[in-house]
Amino acid sequence: MRLLTKTTLYFLLAMMVLLTIAGFLLFGQFNKQLNERADKELMYEELQWVNYLEASTFNGSRFLLQTPELLIYPTDKAVTQFPQLSTTYSNKSNAQIPFRELNDVVNINGTGYQIVIRKSQEQKLALVTNIITIVLLVFVGLLIAILIFNWIISKRLWKPFQNSLSKIRNMGLPQVATVHFEQTGTKEFTELNASLNTMVTKIHSDYETMKQFTEDAAHEMQTPLAVAQTKLELLLQDSNLTSPQTEAIVQATTALNRLSKLNQSLLLLAKIENQQYEATGKINLVEIAQKYLRLFDEIIKEKKLSLETNFSESFEVKLHPFLADSLVSNLIGNAIKYNVDGGRLIIKNDLNKFWIDNTSAAGAINPQMLFKRFGSLSQTKNNSTGLGLAIVKRIADTHQLSISYRFENAMHSFCLRKEE
Amino acid sequence: MKILIIEDEQELQQSIQKYLAYQGFICETATDYLKGLEKLDQYDYDCVVVDINLPNGSGLEIVKILREIGSKSGIIIISARNALEDKLKGLELGSDDYLTKPFHLSELNARIHAIVRRRNFGGNKIISFNEIALNPEAQLVSVEGKPVELTEKEYQLLEYFIANRGRVLTKAAIAAHVWGDEYEKVGQYDFIYTHIKNLRKKMMEAGAGDYVKTVHGIGYRFND
Repeated sequence: MRLLTKTTLYFLLAMMVLLTIAGFLLFGQFNKQLNERADKELMYEELQWVNYLEASTFNGSRFLLQTPELLIYPTDKAVTQFPQLSTTYSNKSNAQIPFRELNDVVNINGTGYQIVIRKSQEQKLALVTNIITIVLLVFVGLLIAILIFNWIISKRLWKPFQNSLSKIRNMGLPQVATVHFEQTGTKEFTELNASLNTMVTKIHSDYETMKQFTEDAAHEMQTPLAVAQTKLELLLQDSNLTSPQTEAIVQATTALNRLSKLNQSLLLLAKIENQQYEATGKINLVEIAQKYLRLFDEIIKEKKLSLETNFSESFEVKLHPFLADSLVSNLIGNAIKYNVDGGRLIIKNDLNKFWIDNTSAAGAINPQMLFKRFGSLSQTKNNSTGLGLAIVKRIADTHQLSISYRFENAMHSFCLRKEE
Repeated sequence: MKILIIEDEQELQQSIQKYLAYQGFICETATDYLKGLEKLDQYDYDCVVVDINLPNGSGLEIVKILREIGSKSGIIIISARNALEDKLKGLELGSDDYLTKPFHLSELNARIHAIVRRRNFGGNKIISFNEIALNPEAQLVSVEGKPVELTEKEYQLLEYFIANRGRVLTKAAIAAHVWGDEYEKVGQYDFIYTHIKNLRKKMMEAGAGDYVKTVHGIGYRFND
């Protein structure tokens, strides 16, 4: 629920309570005033009647008068000090009509007279309806006004907030430094933007530090590796070495080479995670695949693989060229590396999918482990880093692609799919 | 031919110097940016091997200065940085090649040979080894004047062998040179055996000596 909708609802709820109370107060006030006015009229009327009675009973005659609104008759009741005023209801028609009634016992020329005067207060009923109508009108008016104001306010007042929000949404790690949240006319938003600026600066410096550290660590490792490798290469030239010694040197060189590749792969993974490879344009992976098939042509022939390709469409992905190379070369490289002599290699695609299928001496691999770092290492005997598929997965995950693995008809099948 | 090696890692510098000296280069060394510039100011070198991260300055700056003064020296950058941007920057500034650490000394040597030959404008570009002559521009090979048909890979192998004559070359180093790093993704070097076998056969049929010797369990050596 939008913030504005929420405040509006609460406001309307409060207004409902307030307007009900106001309605009751209004009714009470009007009621009081109507009664006072009716009472004054009744008192005046009574006075008139008393004067009239005093004049007409002077000669000792007794008087009795009865109309629906007036009752005068002689009584033995004690004279009341003040006239009594009350509200009564008559049940004449369907609706109960309120009446204001004056009750008084007066002494006129020695005779006690009971005077009852009633006045209809039919307008009171109308008053209640009127007040309810007014309250409802005010409520509906307020509702419409609030909705209109909210619409305008959300357009105007929340604009800086919306701006900041869209900036945060579109913010990528590498360009974090270029994002700036400007001052606004609203104190709260200015405060928010100032905090966002501080946060962004912190994120950027952390990102830079981490990036720098990862790269430095990887590079610092390459130099001692280079020293060791060159020393071994020189040592290999010594003609006095025995065969086991040279073999040991070659094994050490291989291990060093693997360590170096491992280092580079980890650095690559970190860089992908840091979003350091920004896509510049769309790349057709079919072309990349064809490039690598040409490059690996010799080993495909050497292994006597039967290569079946069906590139009917282009498969375009927004990817940095280096990552496109890495993605395709890892997948095709694996399909060749783990293939058997005389095996099959099938590469095909449509607009949204790209398949690489290969035969292999190994059976089905647990897909859960397959894409994990070093996850497939236990099954490899070649000098593998165990990171190739982790890199493939990482590239796919960060570029709206998905990679899946299936073992079908004795073939390992990798499928790269575009996610919309 | 004179080579200057500007590299702050002493051990690496020594290895490079030792290997190149054996291949017939005269090597001088500098351990930092200023000493490197000093040497370059005093002498002309056929090729400069320069590291990027140096004490007191950047190797890229040295490349820039060398090209600004119109030096004809070949330049090869050796760096621990593998980033594409660094490579492009180095090449843009005028270096001839870029090699990422760690590298095979045989690879560095082969590349220096190629650079020096390319930059040797007026001079003789033919590589010769006894009765074998290579024309790198046309990628043609002849034995005692008679042309030999070689495939592209066989030619590259031969050129690499001659540049690193007398050296034991591991299969990994040979494969990396001829097929590039990407070939490691397919994971085996066995296929180089076929190529070397073919090269040997063709050269011997053309009347050349059998110079490619198998070093058991390691790789090959090319010598008389």
